Amino acid sequence: MIANEETLKNLMVRSQGGDKQSYSVLLEQTGRWLGRYFSNKISSDAIDDLIQETLISLHRKRDSFDPSRAYLPWIAAIARYRWVDRLRQTYKHQASTLDFDVAEDGHEDVVGAKISIDRLLTMLPDKQAEAIQLVKVEGYSIAEASNQTGQSESLVKVNIHRGLKKLATLIESE
Amino acid sequence: MHNNFSIDDLVNDLTPVKPMNINRGLLLPAIMVVAFATLFVTQLGLRADLAAGIPSMVTLMRGGVLILLGLATAHAVLRMAQPSVGNGSQGWAWAVGAALLFPLSALIITISNISSDMPVNVNNGWYCFKMCLSASAATAIPMILWLRKGAPTSLERAGWLTGLAAGGLGAFAYSFHCPFTSVIDISVWYSGAIGTSAIIGRLVVPHLIRW
Repeated sequence: MIANEETLKNLMVRSQGGDKQSYSVLLEQTGRWLGRYFSNKISSDAIDDLIQETLISLHRKRDSFDPSRAYLPWIAAIARYRWVDRLRQTYKHQASTLDFDVAEDGHEDVVGAKISIDRLLTMLPDKQAEAIQLVKVEGYSIAEASNQTGQSESLVKVNIHRGLKKLATLIESE
Repeated sequence: MHNNFSIDDLVNDLTPVKPMNINRGLLLPAIMVVAFATLFVTQLGLRADLAAGIPSMVTLMRGGVLILLGLATAHAVLRMAQPSVGNGSQGWAWAVGAALLFPLSALIITISNISSDMPVNVNNGWYCFKMCLSASAATAIPMILWLRKGAPTSLERAGWLTGLAAGGLGAFAYSFHCPFTSVIDISVWYSGAIGTSAIIGRLVVPHLIRW
């Protein structure tokens, strides 16, 4: 079970004060939360790296957390930033490496839905979201994505480029 | 990728930090504005109407719009260092709208052919433009450092807003000396300096704050 917003926020506030025990629990709980947050949003072999990058960002930028505000929207903004950054990088993987079994576990409550990555993707035009989902998330080639969507290969590339650019501007949107 | 990653290492590396405070962030840009305004006034002189203690309507409006633009956008910039999903403050957009007052006024005056009696003052204008940009550059530095310390997620927007904020604050500092009284001159040179500052911010700042 993952700790709730109030508990995580308290742990973060204590961590900012230098409490190592709280920080250890916070990192462990946040890592688990991120595992669910990123599931199905990137290949399973990249999830661990993405979680680690996000935790390192949490560590480096921990003074940017405002104790008067909520914790999960803060870490979600950092997670989305790292996710978009990762999608921009070229990487290849098998579509079959996506682990669909970890998807629906009920962690997406009302607050969770507002800060989810799914929410972010719905803000893109359909063709851009589709191109990013197929190529960057599921790992299909440009040619395969072109066949599946009916878009030309160059249009798939343009939609990925424009979609990622737009995602970068929407990171803090809910 | 991170073969050496360990939560224990992060825990062992933990030191107490002071949460970023936006009021503290505004302090340095404010000091820069005061310092440059003092520099302009002591080296170049105070505007005649201000020196006489009877500021004109144009002086008051210009100062008000510039400080509103500068503070609202600087606040938005500094807030961007502390990201949060759902953090959608658009106060800066209202300030930009207010700042468009001068170019719009100039456009209306030009269309009304009043401008033939009010030629653009080129020599003083370029000087004003350069002074505004110099003060803007200095004002931008603490905001860029603040963003580097924080975790901005929209780098391009942060670049635009840093340039706008610095442009507004730098122009406000120079306005204590600036002898212009015509809306046309203010529109051309101040809008030009602020617009240039915003473009430079968009081109330069994202590279400096990427994390």
